[in-house]
Amino acid sequence: MATIDLAATSVREANELIRNYGAKGEDVDVINPDARHHIGVGLVHDIKVHVQGSAGYFCAGLTDGGRFEIDNNVGWGLADNMLGGSVIVRGNAGAIAAVAIRGADVIVHGNIGSRAGQVMKEGTLLAAGSANFMAGYMMYGGRIIILGESGEKLGQDMTGGNIYVGGKINSLGTDAHQIDLPGDEETSIREFLDRYQVPFTGSFQKVVNAGKKLRYDKIEPRVRNVPFFVASGNSDYWNEKVQEDIHVKSVIGRYRIRGYGATRPLPHLSDIAFKKDISTISADTNVVDKIGLATEIGGRNGGKPISLSMPVMIAPMSYGALSKSTKIALAMASKMSGISENTGEGGMMDKQREVAGQLIYQCLSGRLGWNIHDMQRADGLEIYISQGAKPGLGGQLMAKKVTKEIARIRGIPEGIDLRSPSRHPDVLGADDLVIKIEEFREATGYRVPVSVKLGAGRIRDDIKIAWKDGFDFVELDGLQGSTGAAGNEVLEFVGIPTLSAIQESMDSLDEVGGRGDMPIVLMGGIKDGVDAAKAIALGAHAVAVGTSAIIAGGCIACLQCHVGQCVVGIATQDPEHEKRYDTPAEALHIHKYLESMRWQIAAITDALGHKNVHELGRDDLVALTPEAAEITRLPYAPEYRQSAQPRIREAG
Amino acid sequence: MDDVYNIDRIAPPCAPSGSEDDTGDAHFVAAPCQVACPVGTDAPSYIAHIWDGELEKAFEAITATNPFSSICGRVCDAPCEPACRRADSDGPIAIRNLKRYVMEKLGKDHSLPPVKVSRSETVAIVGGGPAGLTAAQDLAEAGFEVHIYEMTDRLGGMMVWGIPAFRLPPGTIEEDLSRMLARCPGIKVHLNTSLGTNGITLDELKDKHDAVLLTIGAWWGKSMDIPGADDDRVIDGVEFLRRINGGDRPELPDTVLVIGGGDVAMDACRAAKRLNGGKTVKVLYRRGPDEIPARKEELEDAIKEDIQIIYNMQPVGVTDSDGGFSLRCVETSLGAPGEDGRRRPENIPGSEIDVPCGLVVLAVGQAAASDELESHDLMNRDRVKTDWSTMATDDAKVFAAGDGAFGGSTIVMAMQHGHRAAYYMLAALNGVDKPLPYRTPFKTRRVPVAQDVNWEVLPRQEQTFHGLGDAPQLFPEIMTTYTDQQAKDEAARCYRCDAETGSADYTVKTREDIFVMARTEPEDVITQRAILEKRLILRDDPYGEDVRASLDDLVFLPANLSRLVIDPYRDACNVATSLCDVLNLDSPFMVTGFDNAPDEVKAALAEGIRQGGSAYVGRRPLADNVPWVQLIEVGDTPASDAAIHVHCPAPGSLIRISKTPGVPQGLAVTAADLETAIPYALNNQFDLLVLLGNGPIGAPWPELAGEPDLTAIRDAIAIMRRMNREEDLGIAFFGGIRTGTDGAKLISLGANVMIVGAAMGFALGGRIEGSGLAFHADYSGDDRSEAAAMLLQALSGEAAIMARCTGKTNVHNLEPEDLRSITLKTARAAGIPLAGARVAAKAKAAAE
Repeated sequence: MATIDLAATSVREANELIRNYGAKGEDVDVINPDARHHIGVGLVHDIKVHVQGSAGYFCAGLTDGGRFEIDNNVGWGLADNMLGGSVIVRGNAGAIAAVAIRGADVIVHGNIGSRAGQVMKEGTLLAAGSANFMAGYMMYGGRIIILGESGEKLGQDMTGGNIYVGGKINSLGTDAHQIDLPGDEETSIREFLDRYQVPFTGSFQKVVNAGKKLRYDKIEPRVRNVPFFVASGNSDYWNEKVQEDIHVKSVIGRYRIRGYGATRPLPHLSDIAFKKDISTISADTNVVDKIGLATEIGGRNGGKPISLSMPVMIAPMSYGALSKSTKIALAMASKMSGISENTGEGGMMDKQREVAGQLIYQCLSGRLGWNIHDMQRADGLEIYISQGAKPGLGGQLMAKKVTKEIARIRGIPEGIDLRSPSRHPDVLGADDLVIKIEEFREATGYRVPVSVKLGAGRIRDDIKIAWKDGFDFVELDGLQGSTGAAGNEVLEFVGIPTLSAIQESMDSLDEVGGRGDMPIVLMGGIKDGVDAAKAIALGAHAVAVGTSAIIAGGCIACLQCHVGQCVVGIATQDPEHEKRYDTPAEALHIHKYLESMRWQIAAITDALGHKNVHELGRDDLVALTPEAAEITRLPYAPEYRQSAQPRIREAG
Repeated sequence: MDDVYNIDRIAPPCAPSGSEDDTGDAHFVAAPCQVACPVGTDAPSYIAHIWDGELEKAFEAITATNPFSSICGRVCDAPCEPACRRADSDGPIAIRNLKRYVMEKLGKDHSLPPVKVSRSETVAIVGGGPAGLTAAQDLAEAGFEVHIYEMTDRLGGMMVWGIPAFRLPPGTIEEDLSRMLARCPGIKVHLNTSLGTNGITLDELKDKHDAVLLTIGAWWGKSMDIPGADDDRVIDGVEFLRRINGGDRPELPDTVLVIGGGDVAMDACRAAKRLNGGKTVKVLYRRGPDEIPARKEELEDAIKEDIQIIYNMQPVGVTDSDGGFSLRCVETSLGAPGEDGRRRPENIPGSEIDVPCGLVVLAVGQAAASDELESHDLMNRDRVKTDWSTMATDDAKVFAAGDGAFGGSTIVMAMQHGHRAAYYMLAALNGVDKPLPYRTPFKTRRVPVAQDVNWEVLPRQEQTFHGLGDAPQLFPEIMTTYTDQQAKDEAARCYRCDAETGSADYTVKTREDIFVMARTEPEDVITQRAILEKRLILRDDPYGEDVRASLDDLVFLPANLSRLVIDPYRDACNVATSLCDVLNLDSPFMVTGFDNAPDEVKAALAEGIRQGGSAYVGRRPLADNVPWVQLIEVGDTPASDAAIHVHCPAPGSLIRISKTPGVPQGLAVTAADLETAIPYALNNQFDLLVLLGNGPIGAPWPELAGEPDLTAIRDAIAIMRRMNREEDLGIAFFGGIRTGTDGAKLISLGANVMIVGAAMGFALGGRIEGSGLAFHADYSGDDRSEAAAMLLQALSGEAAIMARCTGKTNVHNLEPEDLRSITLKTARAAGIPLAGARVAAKAKAAAE
């Protein structure tokens, strides 16, 4: 039995020690805990950790297998995302106790705060006292046992799992209802109470999902994209597409869903030109070797930076929205090209980890697929706040896409309709975020960068907060960012264009003196090395490609991702459709696309007279439209527009 | 099919004059199938027409560049199919059979109107095969009289003499020919007329005509330089097919060997199989299965017909001993690539075997021959000496094309040669010195995408394969075409690579550029440079002079880090709307525009409005129990049962308005009248301002004119603010509301409620006719009331989502600060700063 005195040891050192004792199988006593945050975070071994006093936020968070005992009270986020093991709290627990747990036993002898068990997936939360409002909020699975009063809005929008209440049910949440308690479940509850020596003689009421809000009663009629001559450009106000939209909505009574991003023309990098005429670039074989392209990102807080062979990353996209084959192809291509891949929402696959060189692991509000083991094998951690395609909205994945494997990797029951909240359970403001980031760093020994994914909105303010919160870098996504499924109105009209986003983020960083300190990775409509070079010249440290990489890998841009029957096997979980995707061949295509980007970036940098891509700057650019000039404050010089005359060549 | 991802496809050269096409269109990239087709057949268009059931339009697209469409529907080499993008997925679209379906469906009598002779010059064409006939049609369509000199007794060349009836039934060629001759009365045919002193000499042709095209074909099979090749039992495959297609049905021995791996070999082996009663037929090919030039489908069909294909086997001689007649062969392995880039077969020493047989059919290549042309020094060994870049021979008046000029190939390639030769001949006849280089024309049609929900799922529809049939010697046709349903299902599968994606960023052109990037070797810097050059060509200014300020160019700023988003599962977003303290609406939308609509439409709308908790705005009430906002025009009587009276004075003239006590009063005005109307309304204790973004609200469907005038709300708010009376008038906005998002934007700009007109008209089945909307009987009353209620629900839901995204729990809390503009015109019109522009610039824009 080892002893750690938090009066003499920092939490960071203490957690490192606890992990070491864990590896050795030695139990730990933590004395003078002083209600510090993050005690025990990151432990993945079966040892007993006895906290002799009170603990602060996220006690036993991001762990698997440990047995924690806390003598007094704990703050919010008790046992956050715990996979296995147990936590026994002798006193009370704050809000969101057992948030996102995936299998542990969490026992609180006193009362629990609001939103207990939010987005939990498996395991048991027992409160011997009473709960505050919204216990079981959006839970996916597992069980919550409350011996006292339930609190208001019990089981609000729960999807799966069971809630058992011994005391009074103050009120039920939306889409929750009370049903009879089967005898075998009562036996199981009693066994649990006996195991943890919690006496209770009363009876239980059972609450589950009512299933009234999970499905739409009217299916949206499917329509293939209206062809070019009415859908694009300066078409009539009441054009065919607008009329079709009205007709569909007057059948379904709600907004429409589709894939991809904003489809309207928006001010973009295409409205910016290079100041030199670089159309005379020679076909230089060596240009890629001649120009410095290597880019490091994410070392701001001493973690090991992501090391990119060029300032390009693969944008976060999930296994779920995309098929497994597609994610594997992206991972393979990222490694071949020496850049990074990103899990997006929905967890990390072993195969993906194996074939990707550097893999960033993304954490979303539903904590789907999130776990300590994958955190510890990731090269970077990323907190998703929002994305360009649908900022301000949570995700939804229909039951037919929740296959056995997706359910397994996301830690949820198979075949449920999957809703995720619009915001993180434990991030209600910038200060919460600071503590959340610290939890991630504690869990991984401060070894990897922690970034944030942001859809562009009030960028001037958001970037300052990201900078002050200490993120290592920002993945900044403009209105042109795409997705597998979102409401058309949100795709088109919420957020600001990528060009506005990079400009505002630079202005914002300049205001706080943060330029060069916290890099910006720009995404949302980056199509080639030309866009990348312009983005970097405007101040981005790197760019990320999502849609373009998918297209390189065979996507035909039909915008029907949401249907789930992707004709080329990309945006689908149907094995018959996924079979159509040739993973090694498409990986090679994506790789070649990335290499073509590399050549373009190098050739442009060279033609502009620089030796290193990071020497590109605003002086290299001019604006071609009044809008682009107003947004970027680059000189307005429409005369730089290149002629679009096709060349005359012999064919056939 | 890497060539369909070639840089040349995404950067096509200019169309030569006379064959203008869509390549200059901002949204055009030729589909891979069209690029792969030697005559540029616009397959995506005809496929889409088939889905639509528009077979005559499909026919026009098919025959536009292909005079032998009926033939090609059966036996085209169909390079389009391996080029089809869906080939990589679950099998290519059956483009060829869809063509056959159309041609069979329309029948042989369908043809286009005739083209008269309009030129005095005449042209001679020697050889009535696919190259010559294609050129003949092109030249005849250009107005020339064209004389075809054919040495046999019929037109068609290898199409009739080379392809057996089981693949191309008799009569098919007649369909195409009669169609061509009906279309081109200027084509004169001289059969049984060979080139030379037995028929007509070159000098005579040059004398009689202004230009001569030699399309003499590669009529003669090549022999093999092996011992015994002159044995009677070793025959020429081309000659063999010619005899059979002439009607001969020779009895064949039990074992027939066919040497070669091309189209002639395939036709010969399958004909032999039928003639020898289904006994043994083997094909010997000197390379492997990956190298064999035969079309995959034909090879598979041959195998299905129990023909053996033996690879890596080369004949070296014949043996005729006591054991019988045999072909002596040697096994081969593939060596280094030869001049043509293909790996050469090399004999493996000691691997000789004798293959017993009764007949050897050589199908190892074809040659052209003409003593007449030899004598004019126009031949180069077995071909007519021809310059590919002009199709000219050494004689300025004489051109050449087809197999006879460039070696044995396919029907569709021969047709390309015909088009190409006609193009250069036309230039020469017109005295054009250096015409633009010829290329195949690309699409000129714009056909909507097939709206088939199963397009991703439907498998390739297979034709029924009959094989040898019950009476093989009669050469029954091997396959039948589709049923109507099969054709429709197959047509639905087309990706429509030619059609715009609908995304301004990922346009069809960008997608194709990315495809090329993804298929270009990193070391191929020439191509990399060409791609970069193309990517550096920037789009035109999307917000040029003719683009108007629009609601579409306003965006919402989402809540993120600095504001919290609303979790819909925790907090509902309130949309209830109160107007002038008398109208309590479920959402901030009312309906107008149906005063003159048919009664059944009005009745249905009334029910929908009741369900949707909305109100009707009009000069007349909609129904008893629908809240009514009365529009009062000059001479109208204010109604006591109206919830609100809205006075609509003539533009520019505020007249004395007599108010009804106890009823809230509104005033409808356009932007032009605000400076006088607002003080008037405020001074006279009005309650509501109805801003007219599209002119008079009482008129029929004024919104169809286009974008609403956003300055109306910008100025109204500015004037009220200036007077410090911002809260004293409710604001309703009429004009151009299509979505809940439009509504949310107007609320942000200062409106309390939106009046929806045309959008509801469309929802109830209205169609634009003239300057208004017309309602037809294709909707039932229930359909319409349901549609009205659903549209109101959708509008309300969309407005709520916008509010939630900005962090608001009530739509009415939306404010101008939640918006940004993305164009300067909209920024000015709406008084909303440009997204991303600096604060100083924003203030400036707002002030303007």
